Amino acid sequence: MEEDYYSINSIIADTHKLTCTFNLDVKGLGFLEGGSEPDIKQHAKAELPFWLAHTLSANEFTSFPIPPPYSHRVRSALNASAHSVRLSSLVGTNGWWYAWGRRIAHILDDAQRKELLGTLLKAFSQRLPLLQDLAAHYGSSSASNINSGDMGSGGVTIAGEAFKEGMDAEERELFALGQGAGRKLKTWYDTPRR
Amino acid sequence: MALPAELFLSPSPQELTFIAEEELIEIVPSFSMSRVRLISASPSGVYGPFQPPSKAVVPLWLALSLKRKKKCRIICPEWLTVENLEQLMQAEKENSESFVPLPRHFIEVSKVLLDVAASDLASPSELHSLLLSLRHIRLAKIRTGLRPSNPSLPSANNAPTQSGADTGPFSAGGEYLKLTGLTPIEIVEMRSFLGGVMGMMKSLTDKPDGDAGGMDQD
Repeated sequence: MEEDYYSINSIIADTHKLTCTFNLDVKGLGFLEGGSEPDIKQHAKAELPFWLAHTLSANEFTSFPIPPPYSHRVRSALNASAHSVRLSSLVGTNGWWYAWGRRIAHILDDAQRKELLGTLLKAFSQRLPLLQDLAAHYGSSSASNINSGDMGSGGVTIAGEAFKEGMDAEERELFALGQGAGRKLKTWYDTPRR
Repeated sequence: MALPAELFLSPSPQELTFIAEEELIEIVPSFSMSRVRLISASPSGVYGPFQPPSKAVVPLWLALSLKRKKKCRIICPEWLTVENLEQLMQAEKENSESFVPLPRHFIEVSKVLLDVAASDLASPSELHSLLLSLRHIRLAKIRTGLRPSNPSLPSANNAPTQSGADTGPFSAGGEYLKLTGLTPIEIVEMRSFLGGVMGMMKSLTDKPDGDAGGMDQD
């Protein structure tokens, strides 16, 4: 997905909150912490939307650890079995795991950025085959079959269904693209010329 | 931008079929007529004369139209035979790395011929199933192309785990997928999906420092 200024998806991914630690005292911004204190003290923690955290961190007013959705624990789960990790529930309600990770990666230093982007890319390319299988499968079965929950002899397994539930927003977008193209071709094949 | 989103991405199969109907094909007419000049993609646009026992070469759309009116018999193109298709299948199976090049409008022409002029083909049902298997073999190759390269290859084994992430995501070992030999209609089927996948991978790839410096300094 493009990081376009007008992209709604990009805006949504931007509003996801990042836990930051302030590196200095700030007067009058206590509301960011949600408390009744008027000021923010040094080392105070606050959940800031990414668009704010981005600027603050770039200017070194705040710092942050790698957030939990990209933590070691998730990485090992991805290494063990990339397609059974439910990315949809990790970041936001729609699953902006890739989009948000990409944002964060761009404000990290070189080594960390490489590592995080590497993780994202690896996860994506390991999930890709199943994603494509599903898109092709749903594209080639008729809409009524899917709606009635009858999968026919198509061979989408329970794992496939679970994967579909756990897709990230961008993966779902790709899925829809693949499915749409497959369906167009299928309609063409199935409509005889007279 | 006035086009609907789905047409904006790629030509539709119907449009490709329309284009394919400019292909020339041989017919045996069952009527007599002198030469005709038709609006056509070919330079002259003159077809005929039509004299029953002898063949005439016309664009596919004309052949189909005449066929529907039972005014001609279509001569099956030489590549649309059971024998040739079986050979193609064989070649396609043996050659697991790339796609066997097909005539440009192979799929479209074979489909419309089977739909409209099945009675002029040698064994239409057999042709149909062969064409279907051929399509499935080729699609399967795209699928395997998307699998990450086999990690048990010796080169990957020698390297420490960290560099495992550096091998490309596709089975070719790099960040590309070989599509040489695919016909336009097959590309249409994959295009939007693969385009999205490539874009996604690009966005997840760390840019070299030189590029990043140029891009990020606002």
